[in-house]
This record gives sequence, structure tokens and C-alpha cells, in this order.
Amino acid sequence: MSNALVQIDSLRIDVKVTRTRRLTIVNSATFDVQPGQLLGLIGESGSGKTMLCRSLVGTLHRRGAYIQSGSLTFNGIDLVSASGKEWRDIRGKQIGYIPQSALAGPNPVLTIGAQMAEAITLGEKMDKEIVRKRAIELLEIVQIRRPEVVLKQYPYELSGGMKQRVMIACAIAREPKLIVADEPTTGLDVTVQAEIMQLLKQIRKDLNTSIILVSHDLPLINEVCDDIVIMHAGSTVEKIPSAKIQDTRHPYTEALYRSRIDLVEPRGKLITINGQPPTVGDWPTGCRFAGRCDYVKPGCSADVEIPSVKVGPNHLTSCIRQAEIWGK
Amino acid sequence: MSSNKAFSADASRSERIKEWISRPGGFGIIAGCIMFVAITVFGFIYPLVGPYGTDEFVGESLEGPSLAHPMGLDQLGRDVMTRVFAAVPSDIGIAFLGVTIPLIIGTIVGILLGISKNKYMVSFVSSLIDGINAFPLLIIAIAMVTFLGPGLINVVIILTLMSWARYARIARTRAVVVLQQNYIEATQLMGYSKRRVIAKHVAPNVSSESLAYALSDFILVIIIVSGLSFLGFAARPPMAEWGAMIADGRTFIGQAWWLTIFPGLALCWSAISLSFIVEGLSRRDRGNS
Amino acid sequence: MNLLEAFDVSVTFKAFGYEVQAVKNVDFVLPQGKVVGIVGESGSGKSTFARVLSGLQEPTGGYVTYLGSPIQDGKDIYKGELRKAVQMVFQDPYGSLNPRMRIINAVAEAVRVHQNPHKSEAQQIALDLLKRMGISEIDAFKYPSSLSGGQRQRASVARALSVQPKILIADEPTSAIDQSAQSQLLELFSELIKDGLSIVLVSHDLGVIRYLTDNVYVMQNGEFVETGSSSKIFENPSNAYTQKLIASIPSSGKK
Repeated sequence: MSNALVQIDSLRIDVKVTRTRRLTIVNSATFDVQPGQLLGLIGESGSGKTMLCRSLVGTLHRRGAYIQSGSLTFNGIDLVSASGKEWRDIRGKQIGYIPQSALAGPNPVLTIGAQMAEAITLGEKMDKEIVRKRAIELLEIVQIRRPEVVLKQYPYELSGGMKQRVMIACAIAREPKLIVADEPTTGLDVTVQAEIMQLLKQIRKDLNTSIILVSHDLPLINEVCDDIVIMHAGSTVEKIPSAKIQDTRHPYTEALYRSRIDLVEPRGKLITINGQPPTVGDWPTGCRFAGRCDYVKPGCSADVEIPSVKVGPNHLTSCIRQAEIWGK
Repeated sequence: MSSNKAFSADASRSERIKEWISRPGGFGIIAGCIMFVAITVFGFIYPLVGPYGTDEFVGESLEGPSLAHPMGLDQLGRDVMTRVFAAVPSDIGIAFLGVTIPLIIGTIVGILLGISKNKYMVSFVSSLIDGINAFPLLIIAIAMVTFLGPGLINVVIILTLMSWARYARIARTRAVVVLQQNYIEATQLMGYSKRRVIAKHVAPNVSSESLAYALSDFILVIIIVSGLSFLGFAARPPMAEWGAMIADGRTFIGQAWWLTIFPGLALCWSAISLSFIVEGLSRRDRGNS
Repeated sequence: MNLLEAFDVSVTFKAFGYEVQAVKNVDFVLPQGKVVGIVGESGSGKSTFARVLSGLQEPTGGYVTYLGSPIQDGKDIYKGELRKAVQMVFQDPYGSLNPRMRIINAVAEAVRVHQNPHKSEAQQIALDLLKRMGISEIDAFKYPSSLSGGQRQRASVARALSVQPKILIADEPTSAIDQSAQSQLLELFSELIKDGLSIVLVSHDLGVIRYLTDNVYVMQNGEFVETGSSSKIFENPSNAYTQKLIASIPSSGKK
């Protein structure tokens, strides 16, 4: 695993709520990303997946969050202690970011051309004509028709799908080694979503970029990604190849998989995950899924750190009882 | 979504209170409330139970603060402390009226405007409101006083006439937003009467913003009432009122500082205590988002 | 028997000199005891049409009937007792409940106005209804801001059901809530259907449509481009747009 592009080990991210109160948003995240891999990151709200993304693009401080412990390495660089200057070299150049479509997007007061110029130059001086050519080239890669016209338009003139394509174009402008896509298709129509997923797969193939695709949509991640990391209540609970999702060894993943609506007969019995996700900050001791788990035993809530164990090639899980439940 | 043990049914009363205080702004709200209640209670009670009367001549004129008279005596030998507290119903009480009456009138008008479908009426009243709001309050108040004559009741009337429009503007803006919400459409689906919808669904959601504004306005009006009295436009002698007392004390400021300082402090105390509450509430609001 | 029928309904919006036709001459049928879905992407007009069916939006053309009689009488839609027959739940759980009213009071109010004037009895009825929706007694006395999105949606359903409607129109009820809350809400709908409720389900989520509906109308740009039983639409769509929609659904095994 030493040639991994990204290596995350027992990462803990805390947030400063008030002068005295701290909240742990990410308790322990452990996984790695290989070059050219399409990794899915799935979790419900409150799982910590967004904070994890922020740690990868160095924007934790904007939310008053910081890495409390653990390690986060990208291409050999230690991102935990990276300075602002080092981040400026990485962000946008080596690590690209595609935001959630409904929330952020192209700057509404800039033309698409200006927006892309920012992403291409990243503040450095570049010849205007070269920038323009590159912008058109990028827009063509993301399959936007008539790119010369679009360059002059403002975001409000574009559809949601087109805006997201522009964001993708900005993210790949400097051919980064890693792209973090935080719910890029949430809120977009399903036909647009399918096209954008195709686009991401194409980009991965052509540029050999690793992509971390964050979503709450398991069928989507399952179809598109090579491997899946599942997060629950601040921790990565399982990492599994998506082809092997049915051989999961974690009750939460199993519950997520079983509760998929597309696998159930019309009006058939829906398998739901009991209860509510634990509220951030009010974490129970031991396994945080214990309160909703079908296989729970008293030992699951014991106040100990739950280790992540390897149960197969490329398959890690952190269920204490996994050997009992699914056999060796 | 809030996530706190104190919300569960088993949190004890003291736990819940502690939690309430620890949230942002809690300290300011409590401190402000205590300060404000203190001066108000003293204001209404002390003149009744205190040893001296408000207009009683009890000693040598311009006697300094002493144990018997902690705030000294004024130029007519009256006890300053009694007068400072006796001024509370005038300053705080009148200001209170000068806020609540416009608040009620303005909010009702605002809500009705928000509901109305008559474009011409809405247009007309809105312009009227904008027109009134365009004028600076204190200047117009002074102008109207020269017209109506001095007196605290007149001040209340003037304030009402001028201020209702500000509350109407706030209420109307808020009402328009509230009326577009799904829960109001739900009342339509439920077949509720218009009266019920306005009273139980629109008004409570509109007035929360108006009330917040009213609290800030209260501070301003206390100062305006005192200010007008200082200029001689409101309270008249021998009425006990901070502005008037400060004005009277001006002449003696070299020899008898207590004539102006203590009423001034009372004025500051009132304004600051309310500011604490307002600041605490706004911190709480920001902290919760 | 058809509960709701729409004949040649159109809705045109006029703003700043522009005219936008959100709904173009559509016909629609909701048979009794069935769940009919309206599926379409954003901007298709499905929410506008749902609001016409529920009486919140007056159509600029055409008309809607309930049990054969037009729902609109002059300026009033669903006048008097008729109003109880058709209720609606909305997409946004955050705006659907009065933030200054406890859940129990919001539901009890409806009970008091329509069924039973006694305060304590109405409250008990409301509590039972909320419990059926999976909201505990403790949660029932909370304000909406203390509940999760899924709980708020279920509270909205409780409020809608408190007037004992025959038809529930659900406009994207699962779009704004968590995955697990979605399943809980859909299970709730399944049970209500078994109890005899007829539902019009508007959604862009094909999975939800497939799961819950008997018949489907596919909407694009204000028109119904295809309609049929939901099994037929999903297994053998005939319209090109429908086919594109179905093909876009992520499903495992298709890499």
C-alpha cells in the first residue's frame, strides 16, 4: 500500500463550537486511495463525510475545524501539518474539488470564462490566449456545446447540469492527481446525473485521475465506483470492492444495502434501519451503530477503540462481531 | 437540529436551566434582565416605601451625598434618590407605552397589508408608511411638540403617530414571507377560517420579528423621552424625570455634580441593561444557526 | 370508480410580460384505492399540476372533478365539507409545519375544527394518530425545530390524515430527507394504502415511483408523454423520453 496516492490513518477532526466546547465530527477515518482509482464514500448526514472532504482540500479552518490526531498523506506530502503556502500549491493543482451542485457553484457575478480563467491560472500570470484556448478545450472535455458562447455567459443562464459540468471543468483544469467530488449530482435530474457519472468515468480513464465520489446514494456509488468506503457517525466502518458489496461484513453496510428500494418488490416489505442516526456530539461509547444494529450484543457498547481489520483483499471492516456473524 | 441531553424528558430542571444559560448569549440575557427588573421594581416601589417624598423639602439645598441621602439633595432640598426612582414610571413607563402601542397598531396594519389582495390599497398604504419612515424621529417629534404642546401624554401620542409605520413595514415584510410558507397553505387545505389562520398561524410568526425590533426600539425611545424632557418639551416641573432633572442640574454642575450624574446613571443603567438583553438574544440567534 | 379526474387542464403563469405554460392540456385519472405516480424532472410542471389537483392552484384552462362533480364552484375550490376529501403533503419538511406550534397542537387543531370540539379528546385523538405515524408521545409535544426531517414529514402526514381524507397528494415527500427516513415514510404510505387511502405521488425519484405506484404518468415540459401501469412503464417503456429516464437509473451490475 506504499504507493497509495492518499493515505488516511485514524484521522480525527474536531470542531470548535464555542470558546470552550469542542465537538468531534470525524472520530476515526482510515482508508487509502490508489492512483487512478474511483472510490466511493458513502454515509448519511452526520457521518462526517463532508468534513473529511474538507480535510482533503484544506478548507477545514473555514468551519472552525481542525485535525486533532491521525495522519493524512497525499503523494507523500503530510497534509495535517501543511502550511497555507503548501496548500496553495496543492489545492487546485494537485487536488481538485467539485462541490455539491445545489449549494456552491460558479460565482454568480463572474462570467464562465472569468471563472475558468481563475481555475486555470490560479493567480499565476499566463498568456490570455493560452488561457482561452485551454478553457475551450476543457469545456469540450466536459461535453458543453458551443463553448465559445458559454464562456461569455453568466451562471444564471445555464442549467443545473451545465453549471456542474463547468465546475468539473474547473476542477480538472490543472490535471490534478486527485479529484474530490462532494455529492456532485445531488439535486440534479436523474438523466443529467447519468451523464455526469459517465463524464467522471471518462475523465478517470483519460487523465488517470483518482476520484473520491461522495454520496448518500448507494446504488449510484455501487454502479460507478471501483471500491466503496462506508462511514457512519464519524468513522469509516468498512471498505469493500463494489463488486463484492453483497459480501459485506458490517451490519451497517448490510442494512444500507438491504434497505435499497430498487431491490424490493413494489409495496413489498421495506427493510428499514431502525431508529435515527446518533446526533453529532452525543456519541455513545463503543460501536456507534449498536443502537440500531440487528446483531448487537452487550459487548458492542464497551468503551474501547474498535479496530479496523482486514477480512479480504482490499476489504476492511470494523465490526467486532464480524467473524461470529459471517464466519471466518 | 439541536442535539442536547437537556431536551430529553429525563433532564432535571436545574440541568435544563444550566444548559439554557450555557448556550451563547445566555449570560447577557440574564444579566440584562436582572438589571432592568431591578431598576423597574425599585422605581415603582421605592417612592412609596422610602422615607422621603418626591417633592418634599427635606433639608438644605444642594447638600452632597450622605448616608441619609445617598444621592444628595437638589437645589430645592428634595431627596435626589427618591426622585431618580420616582422618574421610572415616567421614563420607562412612558417609553414602554411609546413602544407597545405602535407595535400593536403597526403589526396589525402590517399583517393586514400582507394579506390584502387589493393592489391599490396596498400600494397607497405602503407609500404612506414609507413616507412616514423617511422622517427622522426626533426632529419630527420636536416639531410636533411645538404644535401640540409639551407633556408626557403628548409624547406618547407623537411617538405612536410616527413609529407605527416602522413596525408596519417590518410586519408586512415578514407577513408576506410567512404567507408563502407551506404551513399556511396547509391551513388552506384544512379549511380553516381566515380569522383562525391570522390569529394562530400568521400573527405568532410575524410578531417574533416585530418583538425583537421592539426591544431595541425601547432603548431608543427611553432616550428620546429623556431627551425631549431635557429640551423642555415633555415632562414639566415639578415632575420627576431624568431628562428634566439633568437639565435642571446643568446650572449647578460645578458645585453639585450629583444632580446630573445620578439621573444620568439611571438612564445609562436602563439603556445598558436592555442592550445586554438585545445583544444576548442576537448572539443566541447567531449561535443557533 | 374514479375519484379524481382532470380534463384538459392547463396552467399558464404571467410574469413581467412573459407567459409560461407550466401545464399544457393534460388529462388525468385517479381510480379509487390506487396509487398514481407523476414522474418527471425539474421544470416538468408536475408540482404545479399536483397543486391544481389539491385545489391550491386554479387552472387557467380545463377542470378537475371529484367523484364526477367539478371541484371548483365559482371562485371557491373544494368548498365546505369537500375540502376534507383531498389533502396534501409537501416536499420541504422545514416549511410544512408552523414553527411556533407544537406538533400535537397542530394536529389537534385540525381534529378540533373538524371532528370533536373537546380539547382533551381532540388531543388524545391527535396523539394516537401521531403514534400511528411513528411519533412518540414525548416527541409529539415538541416544536418542529426539535424533530428530524423525517419526523416532520410524518407529522405533516398526521396533520393531513386528521381530517380523514380519501385522497392524499404527496409532492416529492421523500426528496428532502435522509435515506432511512425515506424508507420509514414509504413504509408508512404502504400501510395507509392498505387501509384504503388513494394517493397521488409526485416524484423525480424513479425508485420511489416504482415501489409505490400502480399507474404512472410521465411528464415532460408540461405534458404527459406516456402513461400506463407502473410495471409496464418500467419494463417496457415506449416513449423515447421515458426510455431515457429508465436507462438513467443506477442499478447494480451495470458497469
